[in-house]
Amino acid sequence: MASLRKIKRRMVRRVVDENLDLIRGPRATRRSRRLSRLFTAAKVVFLVGLPAGLVASSMVLAEAAQGWVENSRAAILRQGPAPGLVPSPWRVEPVVSAPFALDHSFPAPLPIDRKILPLVVRRVVLDPGHGGDSSGTEAPLGLVEKEVTLDIAKRLRRLLEEASYEVVMTREEDVGVTLADRADYGNRESGDIFVSIHVNWFENRRSRGVETYYLGPTDDPYLKDLAARENRDSGIPLAEFRDMLERLYADIRQEESRRLASAVQRSLHRSLSSINSAIENRGVKTAPFGVLVRTEMPAILAEVSCLSNEAEARRLVQPAYREYIAEAIFDGLRHYARGLNTSDNQRS
Amino acid sequence: MSESGDGGDAILNVGVDLGTSRSSVSASNGERHVVRSYVGWPADMVARKVLQRDVLIGDDALENRIMLDLHRPLERGLIKEGSEKDAEAVRELLSHLISLVNNDDARVRAVVGVPAEALRVNRQQLRNAMSGLIDQLMIVSEPFAVAYGLEALLHALVIDIGAGTTDFCVMNGRYPTEEDQRTLTQAGDSVDEQLNQLVAARYPEANFSSHMVREWKEKHSFVGEPKGSVEVEAPVRGVPTQLDITDEMRQACESLLPPVTEMMIDLISRVQPEYQAKVRQNVLLSGGSGLIRGLGAALQEALKEIGGGQVRVVKDPIYVGSDGGLALATDAPDSDWEKLSA
Ligand SMILES: Nc1ncnc2c1ncn2[C@@H]1O[C@H](COP(=O)(O)OP(=O)(O)OP(=O)(O)O)[C@@H](O)[C@H]1O
Ligand SMILES: [Mg+2]
Ligand SMILES: [Zn+2]
Repeated sequence: MASLRKIKRRMVRRVVDENLDLIRGPRATRRSRRLSRLFTAAKVVFLVGLPAGLVASSMVLAEAAQGWVENSRAAILRQGPAPGLVPSPWRVEPVVSAPFALDHSFPAPLPIDRKILPLVVRRVVLDPGHGGDSSGTEAPLGLVEKEVTLDIAKRLRRLLEEASYEVVMTREEDVGVTLADRADYGNRESGDIFVSIHVNWFENRRSRGVETYYLGPTDDPYLKDLAARENRDSGIPLAEFRDMLERLYADIRQEESRRLASAVQRSLHRSLSSINSAIENRGVKTAPFGVLVRTEMPAILAEVSCLSNEAEARRLVQPAYREYIAEAIFDGLRHYARGLNTSDNQRS
Repeated sequence: MSESGDGGDAILNVGVDLGTSRSSVSASNGERHVVRSYVGWPADMVARKVLQRDVLIGDDALENRIMLDLHRPLERGLIKEGSEKDAEAVRELLSHLISLVNNDDARVRAVVGVPAEALRVNRQQLRNAMSGLIDQLMIVSEPFAVAYGLEALLHALVIDIGAGTTDFCVMNGRYPTEEDQRTLTQAGDSVDEQLNQLVAARYPEANFSSHMVREWKEKHSFVGEPKGSVEVEAPVRGVPTQLDITDEMRQACESLLPPVTEMMIDLISRVQPEYQAKVRQNVLLSGGSGLIRGLGAALQEALKEIGGGQVRVVKDPIYVGSDGGLALATDAPDSDWEKLSA
């Protein structure tokens, strides 16, 4: 619990920010790098790192997600997503963890009882998307994703630190870091959770929404079938026991990622839609983003806003709005962390 | 006295509450003043000669209204859109408020509270109106200034019932967003209007002004059970007559209850469930109309519907807003103030 003095300091800072906005008006950092945006979209797809245990399913998934990523960011990469492989952009919660669930071969693992295995979040890895040559998406107003993500991450770091979390950041300035390096850094620093922050771009300029990803399969029936086929044998050779444990671990990590994602998504949507009822809840989704595959802790990638919508871009120009987003993520993270610390094992 | 005593370079922190009916100012040198939010200019040459002033403010303006082009510039606490004269009136009012506290020609840093719903453009207007008057300026939402002044920053609901508006602000330990703040136009003025109509309907021949109605209200207002009968005096066909307005008073004052109760409960129900009980226990009633007798108790009664709670009327409703502004002005670091030139 932050002390009154801290709360006051934070509020004063907000008042100052708000007034600075009023004086300066929307900041204009004009730059145009459409190509770089496309390049980035491509990179997200192709730089996916694949640890051994997840290879098979991830490759299928990577392809599925590729269609989606292209579709939502820049339809130019391909005409459209492959039919049947696009996760529905609406409510995907709760997601069935199909390829890992091993439905028919043996019972799916029960969620961890937190009384037996108390998990604690101490160190948070923050990963501001893009940086350096990778600008991310860009708004017509001149706002660049890499700047927005870094700014929000720094605000979030401050909030977390005030609440006594340790925070490490995959980048603190405008430099390029590969997705693999980001994940490796988080692993090396033994982060408890990994939070990647991005700003979205929708082809439909009128849509504005938030969505949060975690590593995993899509919702797609085709993939479920595939998993079912692979799990058809009911006997489990002892030799596969180790493998099974690994998958079990993957399941736990995935379940925690899912819980983390839904806590953040819920908080983001709740906060942002209260300012603007037009904000869509695009839900919790799974996709094999590179950073998510490689990290060894519960990890999410949050698309906290979208630059393709002009009204939203204009809000993002305001420090107060970015602070607000940071607070929403913070609330989500805290909610998740609390859920861990109190053996409140509710699934929602 | 300014801290250094040598004027010019000394800094004076000031909090201002710009209200529809009253505006108050609190300064770091201990000065506090309240002024009715009226500004008037002499209507013609004759008036100017008689009054010997270019502009009149507050009670001074009210008393001389016959000779004045009189403005109450802050409709719902905002500069009325598109009115040059009102913008000028706000400037005069603020200039007057500042002059009341700044006796040493210090450099002034002011925090000015405006209604929660003041839009960006309105705040911009206010900034423009203030330019040159003071050295540095911050504009904040008034209910937030009230909450800050009361240090009710965590698990609290501030309900500021003024003249033009009732402002609500939920405090969650973070800077309130649009979601945390609401404004109703039911407040002191609307009670006055109702009372005016009700009394006129019951005593068609009585002769009274809206000014009198407000005085009656400020003296006898109540909701719930009356303490006794409310009797006021007004001329009926020229004869001073005692009028019983007990029921009218009650009805007019109670007209605030449904909208305020509904908003209060709605806002509390939006608070994270685990904190709702704390917020219910920490409802603060401020503003002049918060002084209506029995209002706090009636709101507290309404809280029972959602689990019970406590409604407290703040001690110093006139200055709570400007004191909050002053606290903010004092707490903002110098480095930030430097960026906020008016
Ligand atoms: N004792 C009282 N009982 C009832 N009403 C009162 C009392 N004293 C003042 N009022 C009313 O309170 C109102 C003024 O309150 P306040 O000074 O808080 O308003 P304001 O700040 O000028 O208005 P706003 O906040 O809407 O801009 C007036 O309607 C006045 O008649
Ligand atoms: Mg007021
Ligand atoms: Zn991105």
